[in-house]
Formats: sequence, C-alpha cells, structure tokens
Amino acid sequence: MTEDATAVTEHKKHWFQARIVLFVGSSIVIALVLVSVSMALYASSGAAQLDLSRPGFQAVQSQVERSSTFKSFPASGKVDNETIEQFKALYEEQVKQVTANDAFNPSVLDEHTLGIGAPAATE
Amino acid sequence: MKFVLAVLLAAIATAGALSSLPTSAQESPTVTDEQIAHIKNACPAIIATLSQIHANDAPVYVNRNQAYFSISDKLIARLNGRLAVNRFDTSTFVRISNEYAAALTQFRAAYKRYDDSMSDLVRMNCVRQPVGFYDKVAETRELRAGVQQSIKKLHGKIDEYRSAVGTFQEQNESRLKGVTND
Repeated sequence: MTEDATAVTEHKKHWFQARIVLFVGSSIVIALVLVSVSMALYASSGAAQLDLSRPGFQAVQSQVERSSTFKSFPASGKVDNETIEQFKALYEEQVKQVTANDAFNPSVLDEHTLGIGAPAATE
Repeated sequence: MKFVLAVLLAAIATAGALSSLPTSAQESPTVTDEQIAHIKNACPAIIATLSQIHANDAPVYVNRNQAYFSISDKLIARLNGRLAVNRFDTSTFVRISNEYAAALTQFRAAYKRYDDSMSDLVRMNCVRQPVGFYDKVAETRELRAGVQQSIKKLHGKIDEYRSAVGTFQEQNESRLKGVTND
C-alpha cells in the first residue's frame, strides 16, 4: 500500500516536472515564432527604413523634420476663386520644400566618386 | 492531361534554364587588376564613405516620405473632398490623386530595395570579394537611380495636379465668382 502510494506520488511528481518543461519549452517556441513573424513584418513592410533608432542612424535622427510644421488645407467650406488662390499659394509653399533640391542622385555612388574607377588611359 | 503537364514542366524548365544563363558579361563591366588592388587597399575608407551616404539618406527618405504623404493627405485629398462636397466635377483630380498614390507606393518600394542593397553593400568584405563588391556598387547605383526616377514621377504628378487646379479655375471661372455659401 505504501509502495503504491509512493509510486503514485513519484509518478505525479514526474508528470508535474514534465508539464513544467513542456510549458516553458512551448512558451519559448511560441515567443520565437512571434518574434520571427514580427521581424519579418518589420523588414518587409518598410518600417525598418523609417526607423532611425537602428545602429548607425542615431547620429542623423536630429535631421528628421517634425510633421506638425506642414500646413493643412481646410477640408470644409465654400469653394470660390479666393479658396482656389489660397490652395494654390499653400500648395506652392509646401511643394517647393521637396521639389527644390535634387535627392538620391546616383552620381554619389559613381565609381570615380568612390575612387574605384578605372584609371584614365595614359599614352 | 499528362501531355499538358509535360508541356508545363518543360516550359518551367526552359524558363528556369534561360533565367540562370550567365549574364555577367553584359551586366558587370570588366574590373582591372589595378581596380581590384585599389578596392582592397582602400576598403575601409570606401566602406566608411558608403556608410556615411547610407546614414545621410535615411533622414532624407523619412522627410521626403512624410512630405509626399502630407501633400496627398493634407492638401490634395482635402481639396478633392471640398470640391466634391460643393458638387464640382472632381474626376480629373481623383485620377491624378490615384496616380500620385501609386507613385508614392513606387517610391517607397524603390527606396526599400535601395536601402536593402546598401545595407548589404556596407556589410560586404571588399578585401575578400573586391569583384563582387564592385558589382554590388553598380547594382546599388542602379537602384538609387530608380529612387530618383520615382521621385521625378512624383514631382510630375505634383505638377500635373497644379496644372489641373489652374485648368479647373479657368473652366469654372463664372461659378467660382458667383458662388454662394453652402
């Protein structure tokens, strides 16, 4: 009787330990899967390109402009000549900030700019 | 049925074989031994320059992306809505807005491709793989040109919308002058 009780207790103990191991293991696996999914989404959605907290980008974080400085056009109200003129003025003001200068010119990656171009032929 | 399956498999195999044909002779220009030696010698300096370009590009992209979205969201969409509420014909504006949105999506995708390529480039070991590095620089340059092209397309749509507003103002001159509040 005592041996049986001891065996049952031992069995319960082992079963409890196995459940803990299973619980911890499955928690780790689930966490790994979720982290992998979120990292894949982070990389594929384009969020990574907007994230300047990435290593190597902290120094340029201050160059990001605040979106609150952008003036909005009122979404409601009458439409007359004055309204259109107001829109045109606002549009020009906001648009010239992005159209004024050339961005992403490929010449900065030119082989001569980087100093890896073929040397000029000498005669 | 078996015949169709066989034809399909043959087509897939042919397409696969054709796509795997070497095209390096056309794609990568010849790298001289002198260039290879120079890449190996100047590798840390070149990587530092590329890293700096990569870092400088990031805030430019963030600012541009934000500005282009705001132009659409805070200006174009609002005027479109306001015109529609006042029962003007907005079909031209809506068409341009849709094309602008597509161009913005294209800009984001082009930048992502460029950024991924640039990230790979700055991680490359140009001492061990100078030729691969040289080719990767050429590939990344092309992708950067793609970003610039997508920006030009966006600017084209911005100009088109501006012109459409001018045309609208001319075509609805009398109605815009004699308007009554809604």
